[in-house]
Order: sequence, then structure tokens, then C-alpha cells
Amino acid sequence: MGSRALWTTVVALWAVGPVLAADPRSLAGGRLRLGGEASFALAAEDEGFFNFTDYRDSYLRMARLGASAELRLSPHLALLGEARTYNFRDLRAYALYARVRPFSTREIDFQVGRIPPVFGAFARRRYGADNPLLGLPQAYQYLTSLRADALPITADDLVRMRGEGWLVRYPLGNRVPAAGMPLVASLQWDTGAEVRIGGEPLQLSAAVTQGTLGNPRFTDDNDGKQLAARVAWTPLTGLILGASGARGEYLDRDVQALLPPDLGRRRYRQEAWGADAEYSRDHWLVRSEVIWADWDMPAVGAPLITSPLRSRAVMVEGRYKLAPGFWVAARFDDLAFSDVQATGGTFTWDAPVRRLEVGAGYAVHRYVQVKASWQRNRRDGGVVHAQDFVAGQVLLWF
Amino acid sequence: MLVAAVCLLVAGPPASSQSAGPTLASIRGRVEVRRELAPVGARPSVADLGAPATPDAPDRRRSVVYLEEAPRGAFEEPVRARATMDQRNEAFVPFVLAVAVGTTVDFPNSDRTYHNVFSFSKTKRFDLGRYARGRSKSVRFDRPGVVRVFCDIHSHMSAFILVFAHRYFAATDTEGRYRIDRVPPGTYTAVAWNDGQPRLSRPLRVPEAGGVVELDFVLP
Repeated sequence: MGSRALWTTVVALWAVGPVLAADPRSLAGGRLRLGGEASFALAAEDEGFFNFTDYRDSYLRMARLGASAELRLSPHLALLGEARTYNFRDLRAYALYARVRPFSTREIDFQVGRIPPVFGAFARRRYGADNPLLGLPQAYQYLTSLRADALPITADDLVRMRGEGWLVRYPLGNRVPAAGMPLVASLQWDTGAEVRIGGEPLQLSAAVTQGTLGNPRFTDDNDGKQLAARVAWTPLTGLILGASGARGEYLDRDVQALLPPDLGRRRYRQEAWGADAEYSRDHWLVRSEVIWADWDMPAVGAPLITSPLRSRAVMVEGRYKLAPGFWVAARFDDLAFSDVQATGGTFTWDAPVRRLEVGAGYAVHRYVQVKASWQRNRRDGGVVHAQDFVAGQVLLWF
Repeated sequence: MLVAAVCLLVAGPPASSQSAGPTLASIRGRVEVRRELAPVGARPSVADLGAPATPDAPDRRRSVVYLEEAPRGAFEEPVRARATMDQRNEAFVPFVLAVAVGTTVDFPNSDRTYHNVFSFSKTKRFDLGRYARGRSKSVRFDRPGVVRVFCDIHSHMSAFILVFAHRYFAATDTEGRYRIDRVPPGTYTAVAWNDGQPRLSRPLRVPEAGGVVELDFVLP
């Protein structure tokens, strides 16, 4: 997006923001509720693709517009949806599902359609109000070198793509270069059905979906379903502890059909486990998540790929409000990968990445925020091993 | 305009402290809000794994009646009062609170969840942070004006605090009734405020003999 268009939009939003951002919009006697969010972030070119969410866009150079709606058809049935566009392209239904609450007095809900993810904590947070910084946690954004529709034949093929997750090309399957998968995709939700039981202090939820954590899908591409579950415990006000698990087949049937018969009959899954914690009190907020994600890989040719390929992401973030509307925040991310034996020696199958982001934000109005941050990225691989950013953002929500 | 109306410091007739003893009167009546007030709902809960709790609806029909021009001397009375705005079932109670400058307002949390009361109003900018059930924090309002209060955790929670430089104001009860006492004789303009704005002004005369002056408002 051009700088001129960006600043024109920012100025326009600044002018109309306070008018747009009144109380939550509701129509039809409160049965239809509307919400929206717009954010514009600007930073230097991301030459190392540290913040890319696909092969085109860096999250630090992004205009993001979203509109959400909830229509209550009855006390037991509601339709919910959210449409988003990134950099004014591809308006997509990010969420579109029906929520059924069969019992008025019991906390049991069923949701069917393009549903919010059960796994972890971050993907369900509102980006504007709940993200004290500009970037996303690496586990939910950083593109690994794995694809669902293309495969490396050897460990050398895999190692060659270390640190190149924004544009991956492998010899087996789809030969068109494309972005790899993150551990958990937070910018796209999966399609399926889920159930939530309970609230505080204990909440259980489970989902069956078409895709996987790293590759959410609208239609199935391999006849396999993902099972995901989460338990959240609130032992005291302000403390939330969560544990999650997910397992599903990620490999596209087209690429699986290209495998030798003995390998083609197997099922290749992404399996992930997560633990998350949040504690807040007074003007403090601290969050942490740890995610372990494994991918089964076929060992097609020598040097063979050691399956499963493992990864581990750690995120810790904190926010402190210094004054009304003014906060400072920091996040540390560490993303690590298991080893494979390639011709040239032992390597991690993707390049480990560390990120530190420190920033501050100010709420000009209740619904208009400005943020600035400094982000430090270090990677043991890829063309660019290190890059730091200074980024700014204007954000409006209602 | 709203802030100006609440802040009005224009001196009217003498207050009781300035004369030997004019007979004081009461102004009372009812504010009827006829227009439909759409319920203030929460934002769509798209990212939730289930339906969130249903919060109490704020009482948006609650109004405040105040004298636009307070009696002379009314601003010289120091106020050390306390008032309470509760947080109950994810709603501020009351939705509208009218206080005099110098009043300290307590914000107890009566819910099981955290709340975080804050305001970015020019009259008073504050952020009380997160605190749990059974705890309370307070804010002293030392300037007249309108303070819009929110919760940082529950975006559907909001309320108004009207801070007056004098004591000639009253919030309506659940039936829409109000009563302003100890008003010196004179000619005034009474204003009915509702749902964020002064909606209707009406002149009135408080007679030398005192007594009760009836003044109703019908807000279209």
C-alpha cells in the first residue's frame, strides 16, 4: 500500500473516528450488533520476511479492515460473522458460524461453521484492544518452511529452505513457490464444529475441523479431520491457566498421491500441545504461551528426513499502564526446531528465530489508539539473519 | 455545550447564605423519556467459544435535572461528599450519577470477574486498573463537567458522571421522579439531561413564599 493512501486513510479515520466509535452499534432492538476495526501499520521493508503472514504481506506494513456482526435469531440461536481485508485486497469471511445454546441456564454452546480456534489463547484475542504491541507472537505468525501441498524428498531439500518460509519450493507436489505454514494460523480460522462446556472456574472446549492448526481450511483436502481440545482454569480472579491439544492430517491428497505406495497409505499429521497462562492485576498484565508442534513427514529419499519434525515456540509478554490511556509493553518470542541429518551435517530443519518487541501505546480517544514499537529479530539461517524495525500504527475500533 | 451547561457558573439570585432568611423551596417533578432508546449491547462476540454472559442493561431512561444558573453563593459551599457507582453484572449502577465538585466516588466491584474502570474525559482522566470482587477504588472529582466512564475489559460497560459546581441538581429515580431542595426564590432555567445530552430547558420561578414548585419534562 502506498504511503499516500495510507496517510490519507489515517487522517480520514482520525477525523471520523470519534463519530464512528460511539457505543457498540446495535439494531433491530439489540438483536443485531455490529463491530469494526481498522488498523494501519508502517515500518521499513521486511527484507528478512520475519513478519510476513503470507508471501505478500508483512504484518508491520499492513492496513487491516474488519467488520463483525452478531444476529440473535432467538435466545438459543445466533449467527456470527467477521469479514476482513488486508491491504485492501481479498475481502474474506474470517468467521462465519452459527452458535446454538440449547439450555438457557447451562453453559453449553455449540458452534458450527468457520469457527474460532479452540487451541491456545492468542488466536481468539481481538487484535486491536488485546494486542499491546504491533507484531504477532511467532507461533501464530512466523512462516515455517513446511507446506501442506508440497514436500521435500530429502533432508537436503528441507534444509535448503531453512529460514525461507515466506516463499517455499519443493520438488514433490505443487511446484509453484508459496508461503509455508505457521505453527498455528491466527489470520485464518478453520471450518467445523465445536462445543464449549462451562465457564469459570473451569471451561472445556473441543472442536472437529477440516484443516489443521497450521493450515485451516474451508474444504477438506485429505479426508482427515482435526481434533482439538482445550481446558481453561481460573483458580482466582485475574489468573487463567490453559492447556490445549490438537491432532489432524495436514498433507494434501494430491501430494500424498505422488508418494511411493507404502508411504502414500500412511497418514501425516500435525500434532500440537500448548500451555498458556495470563495474570493481571492493577495496571499489570502478563501472558505466556508455550506450543510444541510436530509434523509427520514421509522419508522419501536419502538423506532421509527424521520424522516427526518438531518445533517449540515460547512467548512471554507484559503490559503496564503508566497513566490513563498510556501503556508500555514488551514481548519475547523464541522459536526452535528439531535436528535433521543432511549431507552437509546436522541442522535444525528450519532456522531458529528469536524476537524481542518493545513498545508503547496511547489511547487518543477510547476507540483510537496509536502504537509504536521497536522489534529485534535474530535468525540462524535464511538470507537475512538479523533485522530490527521501528514501527508505528494507528488503530480504530468500535 | 453539555460541559458548558454543567459547568455554568453564572450567578443567579442570592443563595440562602447571602440573606437573612429567604424561604427556600423545592423543585420536583417527573422526567418522561418518550423516545425509543436502543439497548447498548456488547460488541459481537465472534472470537468467543460460546455465548458470553448476558449483562444487565443500563437504565438509559435515568435523567438528571439541574438549574442552569445557580443562585449566587452556591459555589462557595465546600463539598466533602461520597457517592458510589457499583459494578454489578457487567453494568455500572447507576448508569448516571450526579455529584457536586469535591465529591469522591467509590467504584466497588460486585462481580466475580475483574473490572477496570477508566475515563478519558477532559474533566477527569483516570484509570483504576484491574481489581477483583469485594475491592473498591475511588476517584475525587474536582472539576465540573461530564465524565464518561468505561470498563477496559468489558467494552459494553459505560456510564456517566455529571459533576456540578453547585448543589442544585438531582437524578431521577426509577419512576423518572426528581426533587431539588433548598432553592432560594428567583427565576431560573431548569434543564433535563438524558442519555448524554441536555435535552430540554424550561424556565421556572421560585416564589418568595417558598413551597414546592412542580416542573415536569417530556423528552421527545
